[in-house]
Amino acid sequence: MTKCTFCGRRAAYHRRYAGVFLCDRCMIRSVERRFRRSMGEHRLVSPGERVAVAVSGGKDSVACMHLLADYCRRKNCELVAVTVDEGIRGYREESLPIARENAKQLGVEHFVVSFEQAFGATLDQITTLARRKGTGLNPCTYCGVMRRSLLNQAARELDADKLATAHNLDDEVQAIMLNYVRADFSRLYRLGPSYPPREGFVPRVKPLRGIPEKEVALYALLKGIKVHLGVCPYVGGIHAEIREFLNRLEANHPNSKFMILRMFDRMRPHLAEAMPEFEMRRCEVCGEPTSSTLCKSCELLRGLGLGRKQKTLISTKST
Amino acid sequence: MRLGEITVKVRVIGQRATRKVRVAQKTRAADLLNQLGLNRETVVVRLNGKIVAEEERLADGDSVEILPVVTGG
Ligand SMILES: [Zn+2]
Ligand SMILES: [Zn+2]
Repeated sequence: MTKCTFCGRRAAYHRRYAGVFLCDRCMIRSVERRFRRSMGEHRLVSPGERVAVAVSGGKDSVACMHLLADYCRRKNCELVAVTVDEGIRGYREESLPIARENAKQLGVEHFVVSFEQAFGATLDQITTLARRKGTGLNPCTYCGVMRRSLLNQAARELDADKLATAHNLDDEVQAIMLNYVRADFSRLYRLGPSYPPREGFVPRVKPLRGIPEKEVALYALLKGIKVHLGVCPYVGGIHAEIREFLNRLEANHPNSKFMILRMFDRMRPHLAEAMPEFEMRRCEVCGEPTSSTLCKSCELLRGLGLGRKQKTLISTKST
Repeated sequence: MRLGEITVKVRVIGQRATRKVRVAQKTRAADLLNQLGLNRETVVVRLNGKIVAEEERLADGDSVEILPVVTGG
């Protein structure tokens, strides 16, 4: 039997990059401590603010909502939850009720916005259309851009001061690597513990950014939080390859993920100097902030012969 | 069964069947993952119902549940 380095109980986790074993209790406490430290260190949320958290029903976002609910109770903040229903058959209809259930249990008001309602097409339909039209873009590109745009709009309509997403260490390091591979300088620059405030954007915060995905999963499992562990059917392509590569690196060289993140965070302030200045405008179609005439989301929709359907996302009733 | 070998019941969550796997005595959960071609960074191991560190050694008849948790969802 392996024992917890701190209390001697049976270990539930070997944190190899730190050379310690943790039991269930010490593991839960450790994740909660890291979460609070990250909230404080980067001043992600100030007392009295209204926070919208994006919750899919998966382990990361549900764990994030639980941690935020506790934090907001202590700091007198208000928390609301938003789920984007992209319209992925066999996937989202399983995770959505779990998001709803957890929000209810925590007493967090919960709203659902959908691709279908906003764009007149589900992600499944968009994927079929994209394939037929030969746009060469994969579902994750559409999903990422459109989800971000809906979350921003929903958070703004809900009068949120901050929009919290559950990106963990793995997500963040993958994004860093992906933007390297694609040489996407401005996207790379925008990765950080919080999104630089820009007009029209609800500032985004990522409180789980310093916590490995496996530890977020362990936190949810050890706390007995009900989560959806399904895998998105569209997972694949370069995202999956980068993830696999990073996990192999981490298995053979523990701490690699943290090192990549730390190095990036050190370079980031210097990247600001190289960032081109551009004026923020409003998208002609939907009014979301953009640097050109159309926002990325409307541009993608136009390429498919689709367009924005519903202007306002949030009706007053929550689910 | 050969001398020095044990049999464990293995179930990878998301795959249907439970299979019996023969491993050397004193095999650690981490070795079993290697044998199955799974990366320890991406899964959680439940040994007889308890989440354990991958350094935990397996015994004959143990039930091992493997949960893929790092899926990039
Ligand atoms: Zn302990
Ligand atoms: Zn637009």
